Amino acid sequence: MIKRLFALLAALVFVPIATAAPAMAYEPVNIVHTEHVQVGPYGLTVGFSTWPVRAMQSLDFTFAPDGGLDGKTGTFMRTGPSGSHTRPAPLVRHPRKRDVWGLDVFALQVEGTWKFDFTIDGPQGHGAGTLSGLQVLPQPGPPLALSWVVCALPFVALIGFLVVVWRRGNPKRIEPSGVPTGVAAG
Amino acid sequence: MRPIGAGFVLLGTGISLIGTSWDVQWHIDVGPDTFFTLPHLFIYAGSAIAGIAALSVVLAVTAAQRRGETPDPRDGGVPIRVFGGAFTAPLGYLVTGVGAAAFLLYGLTDLWWHTVYGFDAVLNSPPHVALFTTISITMIGAVIVAASAREQRWGRIAMAISVPVLMTFFPITANAFQGLPVPFDSIVVATALIIVLLLVLTRVAIGRPGAAVATAAALLVMQGILWVFTPLATSWYADSVGLPMRDGMGGEPSLIPSGIPLLALVAAVVIELLFRRGALVGGGVAGLVLGFSFVLQRPWLGYAAPVTTVELIATTIAGCAFGVLGAFLGLRFGATLRLREKVTA
Repeated sequence: MIKRLFALLAALVFVPIATAAPAMAYEPVNIVHTEHVQVGPYGLTVGFSTWPVRAMQSLDFTFAPDGGLDGKTGTFMRTGPSGSHTRPAPLVRHPRKRDVWGLDVFALQVEGTWKFDFTIDGPQGHGAGTLSGLQVLPQPGPPLALSWVVCALPFVALIGFLVVVWRRGNPKRIEPSGVPTGVAAG
Repeated sequence: MRPIGAGFVLLGTGISLIGTSWDVQWHIDVGPDTFFTLPHLFIYAGSAIAGIAALSVVLAVTAAQRRGETPDPRDGGVPIRVFGGAFTAPLGYLVTGVGAAAFLLYGLTDLWWHTVYGFDAVLNSPPHVALFTTISITMIGAVIVAASAREQRWGRIAMAISVPVLMTFFPITANAFQGLPVPFDSIVVATALIIVLLLVLTRVAIGRPGAAVATAAALLVMQGILWVFTPLATSWYADSVGLPMRDGMGGEPSLIPSGIPLLALVAAVVIELLFRRGALVGGGVAGLVLGFSFVLQRPWLGYAAPVTTVELIATTIAGCAFGVLGAFLGLRFGATLRLREKVTA
């Protein structure tokens, strides 16, 4: 019995290690699709590491201004299908592709039509531009509700356990047996 | 035997906590992820250590019981007969072991999730919430183990370590409720509830004045350790794998230690002072202190938008109300931790 338990434990630890080996390396940024955006006087190439884009599925985005990043700063704002948008955030270099701006392993959470607004300040002054009509397809995988049901099981079990503990802690049940409740102790 | 088993459970939960703080900061400050990062190794090793320790104690207690010895409830909690009596498991070790086993299973779910959705690390994806919950269950088991040895010095020390670990970890799960349409800051109020609950629980379970203050002091020390360790480990690990830190980071302190209320010690003093006169009132006042101070702490440390007057008042009032609830729950659960009768399940 003990041997079986340890075998089960070992399997739980080592099966993921064996099956996940391909995920071990930090992948290079591999752009498979680009869109061009005119940001005032500056041309900007928006790159995607996966195309088409799907909701909740993360990918690398690159934002490459013509002529490189030298002397340029910029901001980036995302607007989702509902019209709600982020605050304009400074454009920062992609951590694994330092010669361009970007977002690494980033997911757009909802399907529909997205819009990216850019501003760039540089040698030729200020510019603003928009990538509109970015289509995000439905999420892959099972329905989100199913994922939540499966993953909420531990929480439900925890609440169930606490309810049982709570009922056992009922002072009416404890006091007749003479076990101290603890509240008055100490 | 007893302190060794409990020691390994505590060690495991501590390693999981450190790994989680490190991992979260890695995602914020550096970014790219695979299943096999050093922080992930800490998180998984922590659960494995706690789980194997729990399993070992359960097997030892079962063997002793088969030899005719009566299980001692001071050794990890009331003994529970599981699988029709095939095993005799002290409650604390049973809870720790089940939590750790479930954690490893949900680790597989998380691995699958990342293969489908990629490695965008969000705290509140379904598998992450399951993983946080199962680690919390492991940590709850550690608290039960510690409380069962309350008469011994090591038991009280274990309590003052295991409870702050749970206090630090459990509010992470509260991120799942972040979008709730309530007028107060739900993360602040959930944190206040958990901290008051666990401080009152500790005071009742240990049954000695000062237990809550000792626990809050240990929480402050733990916060200090994570505050220093987390950014150092993150930048060291980034250097060692040749990855740069992200541009444009604001220099905020690390996320997990920032998520611990700095005034928990004040809340603990309030709970101690009002414990005999009215534990519920004490919980309410402690919740008020935590609600008011923590809702200001989060924007001060750069982790929330500046708080409006309405949010400040609403969160303080909600903190007070949930503090009363926390004390109410803490009194009962604390009393339950003192139970020593035999249980058949």
